[in-house]
Amino acid sequence: MAGPLEGLRAIEIGDRGEVTGKLLADAGVELVRVEPPAGARSRHTGPFVADRRDVNASLHYAYLNTNKRGVTLDIEGDAGADLWRRLVTRVDIVIDSSGPGVLDELGLGYESFEDDQLVWCSITPFGLTGPRRDWVTTDLVSIALGGPPMSSGYDDHEVPPIRSDGEHSLAMGGEYAAIGALSAVLFRAASGHGQLVDVSIHECVAGTTEGAFPNWEYNQSLVQRQTARHATVAGSPPWQHMSTDGNYSMVHGGGVPRSQQIYERLLDWLDEHDAADDLRDPKYADVLYTDPRAAGEARVHIIDVVGRFMESKTADEIYRGGQAIHMPFAPVRRPEQNLNDPHWEDRDFWVEAEVPGHDQPVRYPRAGYRFTKSPVEFCRRAPLLGEHNTEVYGELGLDAAALTRLAQDGAI
Amino acid sequence: MTEASEAESGAQKPLPLDGIRICDFSWIVAGPQATRIFADLGAEVIKVENESYLDSIRMARAPDGPPSFNASGFHNNFHRNKLGITANVHHPEGREAVERLIGISDIVVENFSAGAFARMGFPYERLREVKPDIIYLSLSGFGHVGRDASYVTWGPTAAGASGATAMSGMADDEPAGWGYSYLDHTAGFYGAIALLMALYHRDRTGEGQHIDMAQVETGMVLGGVPMLDYQVNGREYTRTGNHSRAPAIAPHAIYRCAADGDNDDRWIAIVAESEDQWRELCAGLGVPDLAADPRYLTNEGRVAEQEALDAAINSLTRGREAHELMYELQARGVPAGVCQTAEDRMEKDPQLAERSFYRTAHHGEMGTHRFEGLPMQFSRGRWRMDRGAPLIGEDTHRVLTELLGYSDEDAARLASEAAV
Repeated sequence: MAGPLEGLRAIEIGDRGEVTGKLLADAGVELVRVEPPAGARSRHTGPFVADRRDVNASLHYAYLNTNKRGVTLDIEGDAGADLWRRLVTRVDIVIDSSGPGVLDELGLGYESFEDDQLVWCSITPFGLTGPRRDWVTTDLVSIALGGPPMSSGYDDHEVPPIRSDGEHSLAMGGEYAAIGALSAVLFRAASGHGQLVDVSIHECVAGTTEGAFPNWEYNQSLVQRQTARHATVAGSPPWQHMSTDGNYSMVHGGGVPRSQQIYERLLDWLDEHDAADDLRDPKYADVLYTDPRAAGEARVHIIDVVGRFMESKTADEIYRGGQAIHMPFAPVRRPEQNLNDPHWEDRDFWVEAEVPGHDQPVRYPRAGYRFTKSPVEFCRRAPLLGEHNTEVYGELGLDAAALTRLAQDGAI
Repeated sequence: MTEASEAESGAQKPLPLDGIRICDFSWIVAGPQATRIFADLGAEVIKVENESYLDSIRMARAPDGPPSFNASGFHNNFHRNKLGITANVHHPEGREAVERLIGISDIVVENFSAGAFARMGFPYERLREVKPDIIYLSLSGFGHVGRDASYVTWGPTAAGASGATAMSGMADDEPAGWGYSYLDHTAGFYGAIALLMALYHRDRTGEGQHIDMAQVETGMVLGGVPMLDYQVNGREYTRTGNHSRAPAIAPHAIYRCAADGDNDDRWIAIVAESEDQWRELCAGLGVPDLAADPRYLTNEGRVAEQEALDAAINSLTRGREAHELMYELQARGVPAGVCQTAEDRMEKDPQLAERSFYRTAHHGEMGTHRFEGLPMQFSRGRWRMDRGAPLIGEDTHRVLTELLGYSDEDAARLASEAAV
């Protein structure tokens, strides 16, 4: 079994479509990534195995290119252009993030194929049209323009707005592009026609800012960023606290239970540690669960009591104890701190597999969804640069001598 | 394409997911984000609500707004293009109506805490009895399988547990996290992707399935690179603020700009990835000589002196109007972008305007408003913005009579008996 998309074929070109390619390839699409002979941008992006800057040692590349086959191709030369055309004719989906108009100018874009079956998914920073189509950007700039930083950062507004680490503009763009491409694949099955899907990363980010949008549209208010909690118009007390072990923990909303039943359990838990302060005074429960809109001061006090309690325990004690009473407490974990949490083993979330250039298998996250009938499988690690040239170009009918000539000419 | 011409030329284009039907029990944000995408793409999404336990997002409204559960702009944005019915699954005839709906649906979606939907009487086995090839997406915090399956999350706590919070913020300060439930959106995107994959699988094999999503896992998927770094290099994750990590590039940060009226919270992101961009940046900031400063001649030098460099740039951007500076730097080929607010995006962003990203639709109580669009355009198809979110039970009678085979009289009787 090879995942829910078994039977589909795709080709990926450019540096902004890696997430889309990974989503499809992990789910069973037979996908070939086309890279320039010097390697894709992410091969030059760290971290690297043993900090060795080598095109085959990037962990960034290793993670985002699982289950893909990789070929090199100089698409600007005649021989390379011919190979590109032959590769495209074999696939259902093209993931093209080479930039607006780049392939069109070479005569190798969507229009040049006149293939009514093709699903061509373009992923560009601003879309294929519009006055800013050709603006220059990076993840930092795309995230800034889209809006998340104005909602994310610290209570202290002398500190700049924050862009989260992890190239999230490419994550959002890549996830939406997978949605666009798969919708077009389903539509093709229903209608008999492929099409061009034009995904704008700027729009993907701009549409993923949640509360900032309705606050402006309905109230003409701007939300204000706050440390590790929702940006709001009015401001709210802290949710995140440092625990006795130096780790942070947090509770959604600051620790005010949603129901009186859970409030009673919270009091019992606090009482076990002599930390309930005056929260047993019925005035708190009365106002919280009979007249929530008048509960402002009571809420602030409860959040203060819970916050001090969180600072008196380890992050794990807060996490497990809080979840035991069905409240949304969480540890603020570094990504690697989940590797040894047995819950994820129970779910078979990890796949153990090779990383190029490293002698031990490592744990990769399997996928963001757990199919019960068509599970996502790990079939191959990310390709070395040009690893599948012989195999893939061989499938086009090129023999060893032809490949040698192409390599000598710099075409592959 | 302007909105008007899009409406004229595009209205006849097909919707890619026309013909797909979702029975949608989802609420808050994560599930509705997934089904909103389907609704925009043409699927018939029918949101099933229980009047005695309403979606709390219906309460997310202006403090001075009307005291109505139909007056949440937040809810409106996430449920546009969907139909809304009420049903009491604890009433035998209410349950019968819901099962009739499941029986004609392709997909059932819910994002309750693990086990809650089964306790309501709808374990996957029952759904499959009603509709043998049903695709069932459950989207809970920790999934339906595993020792901590009963744990509860909201977007921010899922972000905390997964690593997403820790990956945001300054190196020498506490985590800044995300100022909204980013993982509700990520989980929604992954939910939509998984449903599309499951539809493809069903169409090919005839087989439906249960997709057991855990919101925390979607956050862990976003943190895969640091997980590999830890396992391969033994390196614990550390924050880098707005600076780039590997390759280290400088300048690469967010700088303060001049106040805009009484708003002194204006910022611009600037990056120089090449020597040309560095020289153009200095020229655009009015200090061409800075490019020749021996400390800053190379990227390595700029990275080594990044703190001083950031301070120098900040002192120059502080006197500049953010948008004016962005246009100047972009004209010089320097990656630069204002940290845009919602007001900037909706009122001052010609790119979003030109592509009609925000489109209007009508809501039964709040009237006509703008909505965030779908961030893509189709050459042969389209996405829609046909109507605002349903009022509570707005479509109950219509769905019962037109889709589920009830007579007008029976539908009215079910309503009067509080079954729907």
